[in-house]
Amino acid sequence: MKRWALAPVLALASLWLWAPGFSQEDMTAVDASPFERPQRAPALFKHDAHNEKAGIDACNECHHVHRDGKKVEDESSEGERCADCHGRMTQGRVPSLTIAFHTNCKGCHLEQQKGPVMCGQCHVWRPIKAGAAAE
Amino acid sequence: MHDLYAFVRGPLAWAAFGVFIGGSLYRLLHLLMLVHRKEKFIYSYMSWKYSLRSILHWMTPFAAVNMRMNRVLTVVTFAFHLGLILTPVLLLSHVLLWEESWGLSWWTLPDGVADVMTVIVIAGCGYFLVRRLAQPEVRYVTSASDYVILAIAAAPFVTGFLAYHQWFAYEILFILHILSGEIMLAAIPFTRLSHMLFAPFTRAYMGSEFGGVRHARDW
Repeated sequence: MKRWALAPVLALASLWLWAPGFSQEDMTAVDASPFERPQRAPALFKHDAHNEKAGIDACNECHHVHRDGKKVEDESSEGERCADCHGRMTQGRVPSLTIAFHTNCKGCHLEQQKGPVMCGQCHVWRPIKAGAAAE
Repeated sequence: MHDLYAFVRGPLAWAAFGVFIGGSLYRLLHLLMLVHRKEKFIYSYMSWKYSLRSILHWMTPFAAVNMRMNRVLTVVTFAFHLGLILTPVLLLSHVLLWEESWGLSWWTLPDGVADVMTVIVIAGCGYFLVRRLAQPEVRYVTSASDYVILAIAAAPFVTGFLAYHQWFAYEILFILHILSGEIMLAAIPFTRLSHMLFAPFTRAYMGSEFGGVRHARDW
């Protein structure tokens, strides 16, 4: 009977192993779950590796908050899902989720002249072969 | 690659659409002015009724006698032209570019359907090529420019197909795809691709002459 006492401990310990799955460290693609019928492969994106390479420290560089059409500089939205604000269709001044992602990623890449700008550089069908594009 | 992308997506796209729209307007106005100057007499029998009847008749598969005599050609030509026009206009990734640049968007085809239509267009180009080479009566009226415009029409679809599937060198194919699309747009007003602009007028004229002068259907 004694070994059963270990069960809760082991269960807790396995949680510790499982939890990093939810940190951005292991993130390899943008969360495409809000898209009902995605037409393309999810955009490759390694959160931490990207930000290290791009030298981005401020979360709200990407996780922005807009109020009255203007970016609020000292607020950020990393706790929220992009899809909480950006719906399936563009509504007024709030771009659709697709356009928001494209503007956020590609817009910056075009400005900086660095990073992927062509459809298939992010939406890679066979990521194993082309993993480099994600960073 | 960023510079090249910015160039084909920016100034070159403006130039291509400028030549396409400006050139098309010029060709159409020029046609109407020529008619007005030299062939005013056709106004005496141009008719909306016979014009629209002819356009509709020749837009209906197998309606014309010639279409029934060449059944394979009819199927290929209808599928080809539908794919050629609809695929680029209703392609998701193209519409997204319009939305990103201009805030415009419209209904799009599922990518799988667009993929099949692309294959049909490419196969159609192959069919037209073989037909020009193999059929003596077609070969007789073929000049080098016919092969060139066939290549101009095929190129955006071949490169688009390869880029979509990310086969071979993706970045190069992506740039070539945009480039070939721009070449095709700019070529429409000034090559025999201009039948895209003139076809309704040709049919209207034929329909009116057959209906109003010969009192016959235009077969």
